Amino acid sequence: MAFSLTSLSKSLSSLLPSQHSLPNLPQNPPNFAPPVSLSDPKSTSIRLSSCLTTPAEETNAITCPSLAYANTLFFKSGHYNVQVVVADNEAEDKLLGRFRRAVFKAGVIQECKRRMFFESSQEKKKRKVREASKRNRRRRPKPKDSAQSKEETSKKDDDEEDGDNWELPEGDLPY
Amino acid sequence: MIKYGKPILKVGSRRNGRSSAQKSARRIQKGVIHVQASFNNTIVTVTDVRGQVISWSSAGTYGFKGTRRGTPFAAQTAARNAIRAVVDQGMQRTEVMIKGPSLGRDTSLRAIRRSGILLSFIRDVTPMPHNGCRPPKKRCV
Repeated sequence: MAFSLTSLSKSLSSLLPSQHSLPNLPQNPPNFAPPVSLSDPKSTSIRLSSCLTTPAEETNAITCPSLAYANTLFFKSGHYNVQVVVADNEAEDKLLGRFRRAVFKAGVIQECKRRMFFESSQEKKKRKVREASKRNRRRRPKPKDSAQSKEETSKKDDDEEDGDNWELPEGDLPY
Repeated sequence: MIKYGKPILKVGSRRNGRSSAQKSARRIQKGVIHVQASFNNTIVTVTDVRGQVISWSSAGTYGFKGTRRGTPFAAQTAARNAIRAVVDQGMQRTEVMIKGPSLGRDTSLRAIRRSGILLSFIRDVTPMPHNGCRPPKKRCV
C-alpha cells in the first residue's frame, strides 16, 4: 500500500511541472471542494482561505491534476474562470499584468466575443480554419519552406535534362 | 439550487424591526466588489461576503451619458467612488469579481488597487454557457 502511494505521489509531482508548461491550461486554484455540505460553511471557508494563501507570489495558482482541463471551477463562493491570488505588497502594474495574462490564457474575452452573436456553421468553419492556421504557423515557420525550395530546384534541373530526347541513346545497337 | 452555496436566511421584515438601524451601524471588514463591465456601461457593486449588497455605483450615476459610459475612464470613476463610500464604513479586505468583456475591466481594477483597499483575490466570473441559448443574430452594420 505504502509503495503504491509513494509511486502515486511521484507520478503526480511529475505531472505538475508538465502541466505548468502547457499553453492552453487555464490557471486554476487548487482544491476542488466536492459539492458542498451546507452544514458547516465556516470550516470549509477557512480551509479554502488557508489553502489558497499558501502559493508563492510568483505562481498564480496550483493546478489540480484531476481538473486539468476544467475551465471553470465550482467553489464555495461560486463559479469562476480565472483566479489570481494577490499579495499585499505587490505592485499595481505587475498585478494587472498577471491578471491580464491569466485571462488571456483562459481565453475568456475571446470566448465572450464569439458568443455575442450567433455564428453560422460556415462562419464556424472559417473561424476554425483561421485558428488552426495561426497555430500551425506558429509551430512550423521556416524549415519547411527551405526544404521545399531545394526540392523544387533539383526537380526542375532533372526535368530539363531528361525531357530533351533529341540525342540518340548511348550504347551500341543490340544487333 | 442555492446559487452561492450559502443559505441566505429569509427573515420577515416585521420580525426584524431593526433592519434600517442595523444597516447604518454595520461595520463590515470583509467584502466583495463585483464589477460588471459591459460594452455600454460599468457597474460596481460592493457586497458582503454572503452577497448582500452594501452599496453600488455605476458610470451612469456619475454624469456620464450614452457612449461615454462605456469608456474606461468612466469605469475608473465608478470604481473609485464605490470604494470611497465603503471605506468609510470600515472595509479592509475585499475580493474582486470581474464580469464581462470590456475596456473597463483593467481600469476599474487599477482604481480599486489605487484606492488603498486590501485585495485577497481577483476573480473573473464572466458567465460562460456550455452551448446554451442561441445568441442574437449578427449585426449588419
